[in-house]
Amino acid sequence: MTVNPKLSVIVPFYNEEENIDRMHAAIVAAVEPLGHPFEMVLVNDGSRDRTLELAIDLARRDARVRVVNFRRNYGQTPAMAAGIEQARGEILITMDGDLQNDPRDIEQFLSKIDEGYDIVVGWRFNRQDKLVSRKIPSRIANWLIGTVTGVPIKDNGCSLKAYRASLIKEIPLYSEMHRFIPAMASIAGPRIAEIKVRHHARQFGQSKYGLSRVYKVLLDLMVIKTVASFTSRPLRWFSLLATPMALLGLLAIGHSLWRLGAIGTLPLPVAGTGVILLMGAFILACGGILGELVYKLGDVREQDFSRLTGKVWPTAPLRGEFEGSTHA
Amino acid sequence: MLERTLDIELSVIIPIGSRHADAAALHAEYKAGLDALRQPYELIFVLDGPCSDFAAGLRSLLEAGHRFTVISLTRTFGEATALMAGFEHASGQIIVTLPAYHQIEAADVGKLVSALDSSDLAIGRRWPRTGGPLERLRRSVFHGLLARVTRLQYHDLGCGARAFHRRVLEEIQLYGDQHRFLPVLADRQGFRVQEVELRQSAKDRFEGVYQPREYTRGFLDIFTVFFLVRFTKKPLRFFGMVGVSTFAVGALLVTWLVVERLFFEQPLAERPALLLSSLLVVLGLQLFALGLLGELIIFTHARAIKDYQIERVIQYRDERTATVPDLEHT
Repeated sequence: MTVNPKLSVIVPFYNEEENIDRMHAAIVAAVEPLGHPFEMVLVNDGSRDRTLELAIDLARRDARVRVVNFRRNYGQTPAMAAGIEQARGEILITMDGDLQNDPRDIEQFLSKIDEGYDIVVGWRFNRQDKLVSRKIPSRIANWLIGTVTGVPIKDNGCSLKAYRASLIKEIPLYSEMHRFIPAMASIAGPRIAEIKVRHHARQFGQSKYGLSRVYKVLLDLMVIKTVASFTSRPLRWFSLLATPMALLGLLAIGHSLWRLGAIGTLPLPVAGTGVILLMGAFILACGGILGELVYKLGDVREQDFSRLTGKVWPTAPLRGEFEGSTHA
Repeated sequence: MLERTLDIELSVIIPIGSRHADAAALHAEYKAGLDALRQPYELIFVLDGPCSDFAAGLRSLLEAGHRFTVISLTRTFGEATALMAGFEHASGQIIVTLPAYHQIEAADVGKLVSALDSSDLAIGRRWPRTGGPLERLRRSVFHGLLARVTRLQYHDLGCGARAFHRRVLEEIQLYGDQHRFLPVLADRQGFRVQEVELRQSAKDRFEGVYQPREYTRGFLDIFTVFFLVRFTKKPLRFFGMVGVSTFAVGALLVTWLVVERLFFEQPLAERPALLLSSLLVVLGLQLFALGLLGELIIFTHARAIKDYQIERVIQYRDERTATVPDLEHT
């Protein structure tokens, strides 16, 4: 008989040879006493030092360790996504591999999930980082993300998060999205909780992710916001864009026809403008139809989300997906 | 003579396109070079489209008792597709591709194969190389542009001699004319790519001038790679940038025209500038919409078109705990 672990702790590593053993020990020390079967998914994001070697060594000594290896460095989001894909627990915990998060916080995350939340986000309320280069940009980014997505999370950048596996595995993750997985997941309508976590200053190794990515984050954010809100109804969105164009086009054509009747000459620039606007609107609407087709053929479906996050009440029996919240 | 039943480690694929050498001469040369490796190997010729002279040559070689496999495609699909067709029939762990005409000294194939000890993909570079100044310029412009786009410096992507481990093509789906960019794509998947200097064959002499078509194709190829590398996963970044700037120029122009109409009594209806501005606005919006469509495709297929490729998953079985399910090997 084999049983899937209840809990998967996912940790991406990129050149963290000084930290990986300590990380493993800290996680074991924190999670073992909780009494749940658990696994650790260590994602080696193409490290150039001995990280992989040490990780394999850990796997040899501890069968709960599962090492996922990338041949090259892809970045944090793909590493998280691969970890999430490979994890087999019902509850997934993600954290940084640099010991800045404290595994002792995992206990509170679990109890929040047990309360019925789908996503629990850590908030580094006493963040141990440089003020100017890290804390201030992140403050601004968080405010922007919160405003744009409508999911007011104080600290999107904190890697320590907990997810219900059935939900997060349905969320498409790409580009630099690990920073706002909650915002991304908000398209599925989850219950999100935020709790304070401890944060330690970096002891060993170099900090890998800096300021330079903020603008990319913002671009991605806008894309997500747009795509998430129009995914399931592209035709409507494109029509919304196309309608004013079509109206203006009709107006211009009408005007030039009226001139033709009144004066006898057709004002070509206005007539041409009208045709361009009308045809442009038509092409946009065609784009919307293509969009509908893409959505139908794609594998992201709104009804899956609603099934995962919705609850039946008052008395209907809960389905398998919700076991994590009702037991233990 | 080799037996098919032997464990074949090496599969040699030779895609035959429209430009090819004589079958008998090519076969004899490659055979001599490959036999020198002292490894069991299989030869696969892929005829990309009707090459009746080459097919006839192969047929008479087969009748003479030589052993190799021929795959003939019904029409010309392009070298990359021909390669993939050959790959489907290849059983070796190491795949070698060789050009359809004499580019390199066949005796050097061993160098390519041994380069695989320290890399996943070895590509040939003809060196020292003949060619006039114009030809040399063409080559360096092409590879220079490519290096700018991909930040990878290669010198001779036109060389058809490559050797790689089987898993390289298992992870990369080539099509059309992408065979030339196999190193670029492989590098993106995290494979180690190595360039190996091979002697240029004395028969590899290109006389005459390249047609403008060749140049166009080269630039189109670079364009393709540019998109593959930079923007496939982020269509809106490209389309959006171009679209928004087009839209902005158009909108500014419209504003200017309207201001002139309202405050300076310039008639609007007769001005050709109106046409230009509305064109810019509409095209800008449409580009943006195309980008959105691209994002929609990425978003709804993100799990199928992954950003990453897992090399392996390592977990050891532990007898003491029954909580861990069946595990992958190391």
